[in-house]
Amino acid sequence: MRYRKAFDSSFQATASLSASLAVLLLPMMVASVHAFDETKYPDLKGQWDRTAAPRWLDAKSAPFTPEYRAIFEENLKDQAAGGQGTDPTFTCVAPGMPRVMNAYEPFEIVVTPRTTHILMDHIHDSRRIFTDGREWPKEMQPSFSGYSIGKWIDEDGDGRYDVLVVETRGLRGPRSYDSTGMPFHADNETVINERIYLDKADKNILYDEITVNDHALTRPWTAVKKYRRKPDQQPMWREAVCAENNPHVVIADEPYMLSADGFLMPAKKDQAPPDLKYFPHARK
Amino acid sequence: MLSHRCFGSLLASALVMSLTGAQAHDESKYPDWAGQWRRPPGVNNQWEPTKPRGQEGAPLTPEFQAIFEANLKDQAEGGQGTDPTYTCIPDGMPRAMNVIFPMEMIITPNTTYIHIEYLMMFRRIYTDGRPFPEDTDSSFMGYSIGKWVDTNGDGRFDELLVETRFLKSPRAFDSSGIPLHPDGKTIVQERFYQDRDKPDVLHDEVTTIDNALTRPWTVTKHYNRVRNPIWVEAICSENNDHIKLGNENYMRSADGLLMPAKKGQKPPDLRYFNIKDAKN
Repeated sequence: MRYRKAFDSSFQATASLSASLAVLLLPMMVASVHAFDETKYPDLKGQWDRTAAPRWLDAKSAPFTPEYRAIFEENLKDQAAGGQGTDPTFTCVAPGMPRVMNAYEPFEIVVTPRTTHILMDHIHDSRRIFTDGREWPKEMQPSFSGYSIGKWIDEDGDGRYDVLVVETRGLRGPRSYDSTGMPFHADNETVINERIYLDKADKNILYDEITVNDHALTRPWTAVKKYRRKPDQQPMWREAVCAENNPHVVIADEPYMLSADGFLMPAKKDQAPPDLKYFPHARK
Repeated sequence: MLSHRCFGSLLASALVMSLTGAQAHDESKYPDWAGQWRRPPGVNNQWEPTKPRGQEGAPLTPEFQAIFEANLKDQAEGGQGTDPTYTCIPDGMPRAMNVIFPMEMIITPNTTYIHIEYLMMFRRIYTDGRPFPEDTDSSFMGYSIGKWVDTNGDGRFDELLVETRFLKSPRAFDSSGIPLHPDGKTIVQERFYQDRDKPDVLHDEVTTIDNALTRPWTVTKHYNRVRNPIWVEAICSENNDHIKLGNENYMRSADGLLMPAKKGQKPPDLRYFNIKDAKN
């Protein structure tokens, strides 16, 4: 609500100024009607990289319901035995929100008047944040990245936006917070609120304050992600292709591994081989 | 008549706008390519959109024609031939421009981004005047440099010329498996332009220069615009029915079990399992 008021107030001030200038500067304004005034937005250009390991927060601090704490503990046991537990991304499905903001690979933020794009070359991690004033659609096709609506806010009233406030809904599963397998509720009613802003003292530091509302939690859970801008003017973007040489294989819901020489091998001690009933020769 | 004071304030205001505008991205200089671009109805995923898939008249050298024909035979038997994308690796260039799922073009002064909602493929086309680097990592989408051109001199760019290099393998032109040379020397040149009569139609004239070809091969792709799109997430790895073990491709049956992709295909080698546990 605070953000909305700030946004509205800033918008009114801008509208009033525009009205007084309109008569005198009409020809110029007509010419510049399509201009996207980048000076109104924070400079988010460049390549952003995480400043810590791609983990969410310590699982001990996760405010899980007893049911989901038990699911998480069970997942840890499975992982210790060589399984994947409730971490679904080993088959290269998208990490989804909010996990993508762990920033497994460097990312780029492209600000346009109607949409802010977060482009991340990892699995399927890029996001569109619509800032064109749209309402939530009545029906959303659920997705791992979700449907994100954002608002730019000029918090200090200096005529320049400094915070992007985002809400994301319409999510699907399975998702986890990170590779530890901390789970989300299976109902996929997760709502994620973000505040994305530059450090006031160091414009090469970006924060994303992320609050997760999810029925697997007893209360909203907030993490602050910190990213650092690389100094390169023309950064190199590495193409990351999860599906290329992925050693994980799932057969009938059972995870296996591919050996270095390309053979199927167990992921867990004493794991049975897959059922080969569709291969007549295997029954001999 | 404007008073001196008023004129002065106009001048001052104009100066402020002018200075502010120094960093403005003047969208009116660029074509309006916003929205979602899709393959036209009736066009499948073949490279040459005017011809049937697999009969596209690719000017392949005799060596690569033989590779292509062996690939067709393998595909007819249930294999994947020289089409590498069944494991969900990206199409790469130029195949990505088949636009199997819709694409978005995001124009900024220094870079034009093409975001294709399939395997989350996106291209960065640098339009900041940089030259090609002497060396860089090769990638499926390659390294692209573009130049905006105002062909009719009306003060607005209407064409984007692009050259793409530093491509990696394996790639094919489409699912029929038309191969590209694995030497990594492919060069792809493109001319993007909007249809003069139909602003909701975009063309991409794509010329591929590759050592598997006897001459540059040009095809023109067409895309139709959806103004207020819904973006549907397309994730190839989810429920992918293909399983590659070593150099063999198998399929996943409806009940999730491994099954042959080809008639008479041998089962996978289970040498790393304690075979007494085998269910077969």
